[in-house]
Amino acid sequence: MVENAPQAHAPEAPPEAFDAGKVIIEHVSNSGLDHPLIHLPHVFNVDLSVTKHVLMLWIVSAVILLVAVLTVRRYLRQDRLVPSGFTNALEAVVLFVRDSMVEPNVGRKWTMVYTPLVLTLFLFILCANAIGLIPLFEVAGLIDRTLLHTSYDSFLNRALHGGATATANFNVTAALATITFFAIIFAGTRAHGFVQHWKNLVPHGLAWPIYILLIPIEIMGMFVRPFALTMRLAANMTGGHIAILAILSFVFLFAEMAGQALVGIGVGLLFSVPIAVAITALELIVVLVQAYVFALLSAVFIGMAIHVHH
Amino acid sequence: MEEVQAVLHYFGAALGLGLVVIGAGIGIGRLAAAAADGVARQPSAADRITAAVNLPLFLLEGVAILAEVFILLVVLLR
Repeated sequence: MVENAPQAHAPEAPPEAFDAGKVIIEHVSNSGLDHPLIHLPHVFNVDLSVTKHVLMLWIVSAVILLVAVLTVRRYLRQDRLVPSGFTNALEAVVLFVRDSMVEPNVGRKWTMVYTPLVLTLFLFILCANAIGLIPLFEVAGLIDRTLLHTSYDSFLNRALHGGATATANFNVTAALATITFFAIIFAGTRAHGFVQHWKNLVPHGLAWPIYILLIPIEIMGMFVRPFALTMRLAANMTGGHIAILAILSFVFLFAEMAGQALVGIGVGLLFSVPIAVAITALELIVVLVQAYVFALLSAVFIGMAIHVHH
Repeated sequence: MEEVQAVLHYFGAALGLGLVVIGAGIGIGRLAAAAADGVARQPSAADRITAAVNLPLFLLEGVAILAEVFILLVVLLR
C-alpha cells in the first residue's frame, strides 16, 4: 500500500518524489469529504456520506452482532447446559468482564446493571481496534492496482486511502467517551438521586474558601476524564500505525537517496521489515490492552460515582 | 530568521517529546518495580497487586499520551 498511496489521487501523474509525511497522514486520516466511499445527501447541514472509518465501524458492528447473536442462539437451542465450541470463548470474555472489571469497581449490587454497558464497550473497541490490523483496504488496493484497474470514480478506488483503525479517529473515540460521560452521571443519579449526585462531586464539611477552589477543579475533572479516554485510545491506535509506516518508509527514502532500488530492498530486508513485524506484534498487545483500559476505566468511573469516598 | 524559528520550533517539540518519555518511563518503571517486589514477597497476592497497579499505570500512560498528542499538534499546527 505504501507504494500505491502517493499515486492514489492521480493515477496519471508523473512519478513524484516520495513524501513519507503525506503517505502516513493519508493512511491514518479519514477519507476526505470530497472523496467519500458512498455519497449521501446532507441532513441539517451534516454530511452523511460514508467514509472509510464509517464503513469499518459498520463492519465491526455487523461482525459483533453476527458472532454474539449466532453463538448465543446456538447455545440456547442445544439441550444441555454445558457450553461447547465458540460459546466457551465468549463466555470466558463475558465472565472476565463481569468478575474482574465490573464487580470489583461498581460493587455487587450494581454489577448486572453496568456489565452490559462495559461488555459492549469492551467488545466493540476490541473489534474496532483489531480490524485496523487486518489490511482490508490495502489488499483491496493491491488487487485493484494489479488486476482490476478500476476507474478513478469506482467504489474500490474511493476506498484506497489506506485504512487505519476506526478507533484511531478522534471523533469515534469521543463518541464512545461521551457514552461513558453520561453513564457516570446516570450511575450517580440512580444511586444517590439527581441533586445528591452533583453534591457528591465535592467533599462536604470543609471551610467555604476551599469550595471556591474545589468546585471548578471538580467540574473540570468531570470533563477531563472522558477527554483522557478519548485521547488515550485514539493516540495509541494512531501511534502504532505511524511508527510502522515511518519505519517502512525508510525503504523508499533510502532507495531514493541512493538512486537504486537494491539499496531500498536491502534496508527493507535487514532493518525495516523485521522491526515493522516486531511493532505489529506489539500492536496486538496494545489492541487488547487499550480495549481493556477503556472498559476498565469506564467501570472505575461509574464505580466512583456510586461509591463516593472523599 | 524564518529558518531559525522553524528549527527552534521542531527542536522544542522534540525536546518536549523526550522529556515526556523520560517522565513516563520513570513512572512506569517505578510502578513495575514496586509490583514485582510485591509479587516476589507475596506471590499469593499477585492478583490484587496487579489490580492495584493497573489503574495508576493507565492514568500515567494517559497523561503521557496526552502530552504526545499536544506535541504532535504543536508540530502540525505550525
